[in-house]
Amino acid sequence: MMQAAMSTTFRKIIHIDMDAFYASVEQRDHPEYRGKPLVVGGLPEGRGGVVATASYEARKFGIRSAMPSKQALQLCPDALFVRPRFDAYKEVSRQIREIFSRYTDLIEPLSLDEAYLDVTHDKLNIGSALEIAQQIKDAIRNELQLTASAGVSINKFVAKIASDINKPDGLKFIGPSAIEAFMENLPVGKFHGVGKVTAEKMKKMGLHTGADLKQLSEDELVRSFGKTGHFYYRIVRGIDEREVQPHRETKSLAAEDTFAADLTTIEEMEAQLDRIAVLVYNRLEKHNLKGRTITLKIKYSDFKQITRNRSFAAPVADLETITTTAKQLLSATSPGESKIRLLGISMSNFGEVVTRQKVEKISAQLKLF
Amino acid sequence: MRFIVSTSILLKQLQAVNGASSSSTVLPILENFLFEIKDGILTISATDLQTSMTTSLPVESKEDGKVAIPSKILLETLKTLPDQPISFSVDDSTFSIEISAGDGKYKLSGENGEDFPKIPVVENASSVNMQASVLSEAINKTLFAVSNDELRPAMTGVFCQLSSEHVTFVATDAHKLVRYRRKDASSDSATTFILPKKALTLLKSSLPGDDVGVSVEYNNTSAFFRFGNINLICRLIDERYPDYEAVIPQNNPNKLIIDRSLFLNCLRRVVIFANKTTHQVRLKITGSELNISSEDIDFSNEAHERLSCQYEGEDMEIGFNAKFLIEMLNNLGGEEVLLEMSTPNRAGLLMPQTHDEHEDVLMLVMPVMLNSYA
Repeated sequence: MMQAAMSTTFRKIIHIDMDAFYASVEQRDHPEYRGKPLVVGGLPEGRGGVVATASYEARKFGIRSAMPSKQALQLCPDALFVRPRFDAYKEVSRQIREIFSRYTDLIEPLSLDEAYLDVTHDKLNIGSALEIAQQIKDAIRNELQLTASAGVSINKFVAKIASDINKPDGLKFIGPSAIEAFMENLPVGKFHGVGKVTAEKMKKMGLHTGADLKQLSEDELVRSFGKTGHFYYRIVRGIDEREVQPHRETKSLAAEDTFAADLTTIEEMEAQLDRIAVLVYNRLEKHNLKGRTITLKIKYSDFKQITRNRSFAAPVADLETITTTAKQLLSATSPGESKIRLLGISMSNFGEVVTRQKVEKISAQLKLF
Repeated sequence: MRFIVSTSILLKQLQAVNGASSSSTVLPILENFLFEIKDGILTISATDLQTSMTTSLPVESKEDGKVAIPSKILLETLKTLPDQPISFSVDDSTFSIEISAGDGKYKLSGENGEDFPKIPVVENASSVNMQASVLSEAINKTLFAVSNDELRPAMTGVFCQLSSEHVTFVATDAHKLVRYRRKDASSDSATTFILPKKALTLLKSSLPGDDVGVSVEYNNTSAFFRFGNINLICRLIDERYPDYEAVIPQNNPNKLIIDRSLFLNCLRRVVIFANKTTHQVRLKITGSELNISSEDIDFSNEAHERLSCQYEGEDMEIGFNAKFLIEMLNNLGGEEVLLEMSTPNRAGLLMPQTHDEHEDVLMLVMPVMLNSYA
């Protein structure tokens, strides 16, 4: 089996994912919200408001992240809607990372509420990754009055899937001997990077689980799914050698959506951009980032895809700029002439601009005045 | 209003003043030339409100009037026309313009000339006269050292000091400094002002090559340059210039004399191997040998060159931004240059080894602190 992993000692990777993070923080800080269906995000009265996080009470009604707030209100007329308090979430996120750092310095935050930890060599010599995951969950519960779900495995991919299995407040360990069987039974939709469109395509090809994917050769996978085919080939065999990178730079953040029915009018397209811009905006806030380049991606009904982008002199992260820029980029593509099946907005170019002051600092250039 | 003029003569005048026009979206009329005819003389103006230029030329015309004509479309048209008479006919109520040249007819819409900003006049001015060649050389020698740092507006222009003995031009960006002094120009009254970079750039390109006199008039807010049929008026930078005299080191015991072009070409090669952000090069002088080296640790690049020089002083090692040295050596004349230094953390002085009797050029560059002095 595990060609790559057998030859070396296994790594111990934990994926920690906070449960309904924004909503749980709100319920913790506002006792009156507890036990009620709570939606953190845009208010349903506003245009283009979307759900950032729904409490578990709200999820029972079918409310999910990224859903328009109006739709959420229809699903559950009694739901409470509150605006996100990103500063509060950033502070809690910092406290969570402080807990992680008691056990390891190899922490790769994915966002405010999610991180990978490599505890192969933990600071406290606990040795058992399962024990560490339990201690972290306990610390989060006792010190922050919040719950987290943890997945423990030998690589990032499996750890991430594991943390999702017993959510909320879950803990799941998938050891080396269980990985292959686990992957074979996994529905394709659960594979990282498989969105609803790819999942649909896989189902049409008769691929429903990891076992089906495993029947295909690497070449066949690449032919059908492009570069990600290589990734699917390895992952379905439980191979994922990506390291936990404490200082991984985020290069871009995006949100996109493929529509059930193609968009034909400019009004429909702009309404979708309003919604997608909010998703990008929320993700920027979640990652505490500002970008200098905004890119609009359009896929037409004939699958032809174009991107248009605009860069700014200074990094931006406000919703207004993202929305108006995306609409301006759209209007430059003669919208309405062709049907659109996908729209996406991404933000990139987070790298700091090298300022003159910075150059002077590096070079120790002396000044006259 | 109607007038006839030659395409080539008009184009030449428009190109001379075009640099002052602006592509302002706030005040779209600034994208126009103002045409004013009075007694058969056409005056053309362009302005961005900070700097304005006007020029005049005789045309065939029976009536007076004014109109603002879009500059870009007019220039493009004239550039493609052969040299021939061209006639303009302007409707005085709608400001629509009809141009006829040869067999072609072109229509465009102008704007009311009364809406064009008034070109300021300098009142209560003092004046000084200078040769175009002197002014031109002063601009060439100093403009490269002007700062682009808008946070320190004083340094975004050239500081002019007029006295009864000489005229001094100073430019600095806080890393390098140029002082250019002319003894063959002077003013009866001693005064100082800061000329903005844009006006000097425009002057540089429009000053005639032949040696005509330039009249410079100035008051507290503006300066006015007049040469040939061209006038340029600019707002002065209303800031206090830094005390540049205070930073020129007086006691520089280490003196290096070297062939300018050898030194320059060596730096051009060595900087290729230097760090792309700092452009840092190391000058190590022992006896009459100058070692110039650079390295870019990230790419394992390094360069070493040895040049012979005349040197008087103690052996020393000093770091500089090579880009600065290259710019300065490019702008210095003469076969040999003199580099005067004291310590590795104080400014180096660069000047031509032999001076023209009328001019005095002094350039100053601050060093880069090296991590290690071997």
